[in-house]
Amino acid sequence: MNLPHPILEARGLTKRYGDGCPTCFDHTGAAHGRNRCPDCGTVWACRDVDLTIHPQEVLGVVGESGSGKSTVLKMLHYDLEADGGDMRVRAEGVEDSNLFDLTSFRKRQLRNAVMGIVYQHPHLGLRMNVSSGGNIAERLLMAGWRNVGDMRNRASELLERTEVPVERMDEAPRNFSGGMQQRVQIAKALSNRPALLLLDEVTTGLDVSVQARVLDLIRRLQEELHVATLVVSHDLGVIRMLTTRCMVMKNGQVVESGLTDQILEDPQHAYTQLLVSSALV
Amino acid sequence: MKLAEWTERQTGETRRAVYSFAFIDEGAKREIRRKTLKAVAIPGYQVPFGSREMPVARGWGTGGIQLTLSLIGPDDILKIIDQGSDDSVNAVNIRKFVRSVTDVETTTETAAATLIQTRHRIPEEPMRDGQILVFQVPIPEPLRDVEPSEAETRRMHAEADYSRMWLHLYEDIVKYKEITIGSRYPLMVNDRHLMDPSPIPRWDCPKLHQSETLYLFGAGREKRIYAIPPWTEVEPLGFEDHPFRVENFEGKTCRFCGADNAFLDEMKDEETGETVYSCSDTAYCLKVLNEKGADS
Ligand SMILES: Nc1ncnc2c1ncn2[C@@H]1O[C@H](COP(=O)(O)OP(=O)(O)O)[C@@H](O)[C@H]1O
Ligand SMILES: [Mg+2]
Ligand SMILES: [Zn+2]
Repeated sequence: MNLPHPILEARGLTKRYGDGCPTCFDHTGAAHGRNRCPDCGTVWACRDVDLTIHPQEVLGVVGESGSGKSTVLKMLHYDLEADGGDMRVRAEGVEDSNLFDLTSFRKRQLRNAVMGIVYQHPHLGLRMNVSSGGNIAERLLMAGWRNVGDMRNRASELLERTEVPVERMDEAPRNFSGGMQQRVQIAKALSNRPALLLLDEVTTGLDVSVQARVLDLIRRLQEELHVATLVVSHDLGVIRMLTTRCMVMKNGQVVESGLTDQILEDPQHAYTQLLVSSALV
Repeated sequence: MKLAEWTERQTGETRRAVYSFAFIDEGAKREIRRKTLKAVAIPGYQVPFGSREMPVARGWGTGGIQLTLSLIGPDDILKIIDQGSDDSVNAVNIRKFVRSVTDVETTTETAAATLIQTRHRIPEEPMRDGQILVFQVPIPEPLRDVEPSEAETRRMHAEADYSRMWLHLYEDIVKYKEITIGSRYPLMVNDRHLMDPSPIPRWDCPKLHQSETLYLFGAGREKRIYAIPPWTEVEPLGFEDHPFRVENFEGKTCRFCGADNAFLDEMKDEETGETVYSCSDTAYCLKVLNEKGADS
């Protein structure tokens, strides 16, 4: 396959809680079934993870709770500081260097300019007491918009796209249902036309029927907007529905990666086989 | 002890013997002057300083008083304004105090003063080169109402990230169809720092832009000094379709001097119960009256 240059390339992503010791790697990782070193107590939330996303591609990360999926995503969004690794983004105005080495000012600029994120918990991504339109406007204001009418037009357009009743744009998301809060978060994430969209367990915690609607929405947006996207979920159903390629994580490490269909049909790693078989039950 | 009592108790003799000129010691004055120079060099940036104990409760203008005392020389002519008035108890007490420790001449005429200390107003009469206006500032941080954390507001200033304030204005417009901030209107200084102009009305904000005069701001409780040097760009925040606006006094005039181009205070006429208006700047009102008297 002749792929274009990746839009995101991350190598050796590592995050630990603790100082580490010389024997850490003899005891932790997928092969040992734990991420916490029994000798020094250090938790290796994620270790040496590589990932690549191409333009228009949707990459999934799947694994049980605590395997390090959110840690990977949060490092890419600068919510967590990486302890090791290298990140490159190929987009307009982005420097060709390790983006973990930038100043905090530049990191914030870059994040506002090229990324959009949707968290599992809406209160992480939204100001609950600010109107939904205002939540979207905040990102536009960061990008220098100074016309209220223009911002309201853009917010209406996005809320319409994400199936939030436009007449509720001046209401705070605090009053909204969980599903609608997620749709406002998605609208906000898309407001700056991000080069990279990060989705962390966006449907976890929603009622099953609501989940289906939000997933349909995300799929439709993918077809319309073709934004390169990272989907993190413990739910194989979500991964199957949204992604073409995925990585399986366990105890902070990647144990298997490839085309989603192949992995689900014919899992190679014993852990993936377990995940797939238990998901089918 | 109240400022007035303190001033009464100091006779000429003890004052001279115990206190240096302008009350605070030379070391402290030098520090305040150094910090003031830094503030002038970075318009709108809040410079921390070692605020001293003054015979005035904090929050009653100690920041302004310290600036005044560190700047004043024997030849200065001082004016003190409290919400537009030279005659309020506060203005009288501060004027008496500074006089008692400096013996400088005082005035109520804006044009005659070389140094003016003010609370909540800028004189209507345009100020000139060679004059200094010192503001008493209760809350120096313009972002405090939108962000309680000091670490976070510092970051916002460092990165010139003022989106939270802009969002506040946006929400105001959504809720009330207009920006409702009446005083302490956020200003962008030199296209770089967001600044709180102290609780002056919006009416006074345009006077800060490209002015001949040096404006100094002192917050005693919060230990901050900042400045707008002459000829600095000062722009009130506003949207293209909801621009900054000053108070509208159209059709209203001062009941005393008839001025229709001054910031007016509103009150009820005791006899008729009617709403009437008068100049908030009493010295200006007098001046207009006197000029009218001279004309007729
Ligand atoms: N502050 C912390 N201190 C210690 N361990 C942490 C901390 N934060 C997260 N972890 C651990 O890091 C691991 C990875 O967490 P996370 O990335 O949230 O997993 P996932 O998203 O796959 O459920 C977990 O074992 C978690 O307990
Ligand atoms: Mg998670
Ligand atoms: Zn260890």
